[in-house]
Amino acid sequence: MFWSKQWSMPRLELWEKIMQQKKAKYSFLMMLCIVLLGIIGPWIAPHDPTKTYYEAFMQGPSKDFWLGTDAIGRDILSRMLYGTRVTLTVAVLASVMTFVAGTLIGVTCAYLGGIVDNLIMRIMDIMLALPGIVLALAIVALLGPSQENAMIAIGISSIPAFSILIRGAALSIKQSGYVEASRSIGSSNWWIITRQFIPNISNVLVVYTTMFIGSAILGTSALGFIGLGAQPPTPEWGTMLNEGKNYLREAWWLATFPGLAITAVVFTVYLLGDALRDIFDPKS
Amino acid sequence: MTNVLEVTGLTTTFSRNERAFKVVDNLCLQVKRGESVGIVGESGCGKSVASLSMMRLLSKNGSIAGRIQLNGADLLRYSEKEMQKIRGKEIAMIFQEPMTSLNPVLTIGKQLSEGLEKHEGMNRVQSRQRVLELLTQVGISRANEIYHEYPHRLSGGMRQRVMIAMAIACHPKLLIADEPTTALDVTIQAQILDVMKKIQRELGMSLIMITHDLGVVAETCDRVLVMYAGQVIEAADVRTLLRSPKHPYTMGLIKSTPHNAKGQKRLHSIAGSVPAPDHYPKGCRFAPRCEKVMPVCLEQNPPLLDVDQQSECRCWLYRENRESTAVNG
Repeated sequence: MFWSKQWSMPRLELWEKIMQQKKAKYSFLMMLCIVLLGIIGPWIAPHDPTKTYYEAFMQGPSKDFWLGTDAIGRDILSRMLYGTRVTLTVAVLASVMTFVAGTLIGVTCAYLGGIVDNLIMRIMDIMLALPGIVLALAIVALLGPSQENAMIAIGISSIPAFSILIRGAALSIKQSGYVEASRSIGSSNWWIITRQFIPNISNVLVVYTTMFIGSAILGTSALGFIGLGAQPPTPEWGTMLNEGKNYLREAWWLATFPGLAITAVVFTVYLLGDALRDIFDPKS
Repeated sequence: MTNVLEVTGLTTTFSRNERAFKVVDNLCLQVKRGESVGIVGESGCGKSVASLSMMRLLSKNGSIAGRIQLNGADLLRYSEKEMQKIRGKEIAMIFQEPMTSLNPVLTIGKQLSEGLEKHEGMNRVQSRQRVLELLTQVGISRANEIYHEYPHRLSGGMRQRVMIAMAIACHPKLLIADEPTTALDVTIQAQILDVMKKIQRELGMSLIMITHDLGVVAETCDRVLVMYAGQVIEAADVRTLLRSPKHPYTMGLIKSTPHNAKGQKRLHSIAGSVPAPDHYPKGCRFAPRCEKVMPVCLEQNPPLLDVDQQSECRCWLYRENRESTAVNG
């Protein structure tokens, strides 16, 4: 009872605010649909995503195969529905990894300052000097191509940018009176980091994490596209895009639908991130 | 009576760009059990830094020398971990800005339980009970509702009460109040001081009241230290200090209070301002602003010496050899 009363108020407020703003409302509902598709996809898919229909190679959209079939006669719609789950899982888990490691690094650096901060931030700067996808490629090359490794690679490669953003947000908390007051009653470093810093930058955390999910989806697809993500026959949007690109002239549906799916999901996630930023920070 | 706090030769130095600034210079202070000691001075005279030094809450570029003994144990020898056990449990502090000293995203109850759960090892139910008692003790009615409120719903006075409750939660032996009433309006100031006095009496706690307001000192303190430019320039019990101030600076301060300005159109003021730590004059630090300045004042900084039974003062006026030096004007 005591918990529910304590936490229900801000949560309700957030929900109300999302529902009040058009951008937030629609992007949130769209996101909900996508996640739902990811969850129930395998049950509503009309065909087995790995089954080859010998009588239907590279058929255009039809009554049996709504989005057509690919070069070896598999149903594209079913493959895309299965792929939603793959892409979302990889992207979300990678973002969770970024979130946990990035928050810990960013907040600890901001709180401790001095030589620790300097050292870690310079390492982050070096990592940031490489484009994220190159870093991810290097990690996959090191670990070998697979779905799990793609996830780890994407997660690690976004840690530098994330932790630098979080450090910036946390630095403003460090100067605040309540951190000093908390120290004056003998709070430990861990307490201050978890109870004073993190709740106060939760807005920033939510917004950045959402944005990073968008980049992670792009990253997953990119790794899939160059064959370093989920391995065939696992249906994955980036991989499907790659398979389809050779037949773009003869069979446009092979690459177009996975491409549209990637675009739509990334767009939705960014839109949601943007809307959340408007809600949390009405000043900018 | 025994001294709860004994500060000897406390010197706090801040270094920036390889230059060192002595912000607090050789501060000595004893606080007896249940006693209230005031530290008075203008902005920038080092009184806040002195209090933060006693809590060991300075930023990393500040270093502390001297001895700070709390019940006989030297705080400067403790590690940061050990200090965390002392803060809140043995010494606690109230800050000037109640508006920014509470975490905006945690409820009042949550913030008050912090120290209790840490120092007293209470569980949530016990600490909740205690927090409600504390809130009542600092004069907050509707404690049950306030427990679940976020700080932005409270007024400044209420927040300062919460800060007091937070500070006294674990019955500290010593409470340092750093200008606790500066940010509040006058009626609330009086209420907050009353609450503090009441609680001090109830808990037998010692109090260091840091303020620039002589009214607050007169109201709450037994003894007063007047600080100027990082040094104590006068120390006496509160009556002696207010009735017969010895140091020209203290005289100036007392003359500057609105209370003493009856009939006059303008308030008295001491010309000039406190010098910055990197521009301290060679002799007495108050000499450039002093009405009674003598040649010796510009040459040598006077030591803090007993003037009579009641007061100590850092001024050449009270030296035996003062006749030998020509008095200016």
